Amino acid sequence: MELGAHSSMRTVILEGGNILRSNSLLPVKSSPLIVRSVFALALLTILALCKPVFSSAASLTGDSSTYIQSREQADGSKVLGGYEYLDFAVQDIGSETVSFHTGGWLRQDFETAEFGKESNSDLQYSYLSFKSKIDNTVVNLGRVMVFEGVAAERVDGLYARTDLNGGFGISAFGGSPVETEINTPGNNLIYGGRLSHQMGDIYKIGISALEEDKDSLAYRKEEGIDLWLHPLTNVDITGRSSYNDITKGWMENTYVLMLGPFAKLRLDTTASWITYDNYFFRTTTSAFSLQNGLITPGEKVRMLGETASYPITDNVQITADYKNFDYVIAGNANYYGATIKYTVPESGSAGFGYHNMDGDTDTLKYNEYRVYGSKKIGKFGLTADVLDVVYASPVNGVKNSYSGSLAAMYDLSEAWKLGADVDYYHDPEFNHDVRAFVKLLYHFGAKGGA
Amino acid sequence: MSGPLSSFSTILAPKEGLNNMKTITTRMVFLTGLVLILGMYGCAHTTSMVTQHPVEVTGFPICSDCHTDWRAALDHTSDYYTRHRFYAEQQSRACNVCHKESFCSDCHAHREELKPSDKYQDSPERTLPHPGDYITQHQIDGRINPASCMKCHGRSNNERCSECHR
Repeated sequence: MELGAHSSMRTVILEGGNILRSNSLLPVKSSPLIVRSVFALALLTILALCKPVFSSAASLTGDSSTYIQSREQADGSKVLGGYEYLDFAVQDIGSETVSFHTGGWLRQDFETAEFGKESNSDLQYSYLSFKSKIDNTVVNLGRVMVFEGVAAERVDGLYARTDLNGGFGISAFGGSPVETEINTPGNNLIYGGRLSHQMGDIYKIGISALEEDKDSLAYRKEEGIDLWLHPLTNVDITGRSSYNDITKGWMENTYVLMLGPFAKLRLDTTASWITYDNYFFRTTTSAFSLQNGLITPGEKVRMLGETASYPITDNVQITADYKNFDYVIAGNANYYGATIKYTVPESGSAGFGYHNMDGDTDTLKYNEYRVYGSKKIGKFGLTADVLDVVYASPVNGVKNSYSGSLAAMYDLSEAWKLGADVDYYHDPEFNHDVRAFVKLLYHFGAKGGA
Repeated sequence: MSGPLSSFSTILAPKEGLNNMKTITTRMVFLTGLVLILGMYGCAHTTSMVTQHPVEVTGFPICSDCHTDWRAALDHTSDYYTRHRFYAEQQSRACNVCHKESFCSDCHAHREELKPSDKYQDSPERTLPHPGDYITQHQIDGRINPASCMKCHGRSNNERCSECHR
């Protein structure tokens, strides 16, 4: 797909939808000045951090999770896959303020090649972190996750934030975006920042922006405002607005008013407006493309919701919730229901929930029931979970879709746990399907000298 | 030129027309802002948040049980799942006091093949996305509120989506 033509100094890509697809991330071929600046800064940061020679008292903590999954794919083929998830952190490298964090997984298939590949892997995050004891200064370098205002991104690059004087705070990030199925020639770059101000416990407000470039052209340009407001005791407002600077329209305005607790009762009211043309402007999967018919171009939705929760006792809570979806094109839908939960931390839990979806079409009419319970006796834990969805009209000839799971977990020691789950499904896609899941979990955390 | 970031990149990578009044003005605004920020950084003397919560918390934390300041808003009540993003976007370092990065990446992954509800089948009290066999239900949820899917699957973690949505 042609990306567009230069009209002046910078040109945006005007078409929505997918661009060239690949399963690999694109390396930055020729870094523009900003990338070089970011990495020069990062290098200086590393040198500064490494100046105090690596000393004793570094500590290593982490988790290893080994899973074996047996299931059937939609095409009828069987899958037997082994997964290894590993994450760990090395704290106090040289000083108390420097640490290293990494996490990732790999999969090996023993039968059918899932997703067309016998094996797969991913580095989820991996970065060197500096956290100052003053000013909440943080500098992360590597594959970092960034959550700052409009940015909820994974970036191979640098993230930094700090407090400023007078209640202000500032953050910035930059690097190569970590996304799937994106492949364009030339540069891939994302950068942005957020400026915030907090006044004690009364409010916190932030303005943020990001720009993502593909092949040196602006692919995404978003700006936003985020807010937390606490005007009175037991009254909170939080939410955000985000603006698409390419389509020149609001992507989303979502705010939540939280009241309570008043005699333990909490009321949360949500109001949200989303404009599809702006919100789904850039995606890397056709499922969200405005061009292929699944996402309706021109659609807008307003969502209003109310949630009331009340703890009957310290361990029992009831919750009632209601959501109204008002679409410009598709009509209306209401989702409402209630749940009751019983929870004793480290011991067990139980719950029952009922929800009804009432939309304008038969496919948006169903009743949903869920009941679950878990109990831990000594080193042994057992969990049962049943989910039942009854459609107003049959889907693929199935009106009652249900699944049940039974999970057992045994603590071999403080560090090791062994578990197994068995799931049964009867739904419009699988007439009868049994799945098995075995897990071996290991938590490690040991002090060690350098 | 539109948007603050365009201005930023223009400053760092000026092309032609350095004598252009607009470019000079932008540079001056940028440098003034930089000096201001450095000055404000130099004058800031806040104490950093702890990196680890000093007391072990079990179950769903009700922060207001102990905290009466802004942290009280972080109570993990029944609908916290739907609004946790606002707090993460504003003060992710507060999340990091209790949560490891892998806690986020269980759902917010670059690539992920296992559903969180499969990995944590033994924790049914947690509100984890995609319970049961989600193949049928995702068609309904996707029509009701596709924006809720977009956050995790819009630009990443969508290899599984592309099996059917080619």
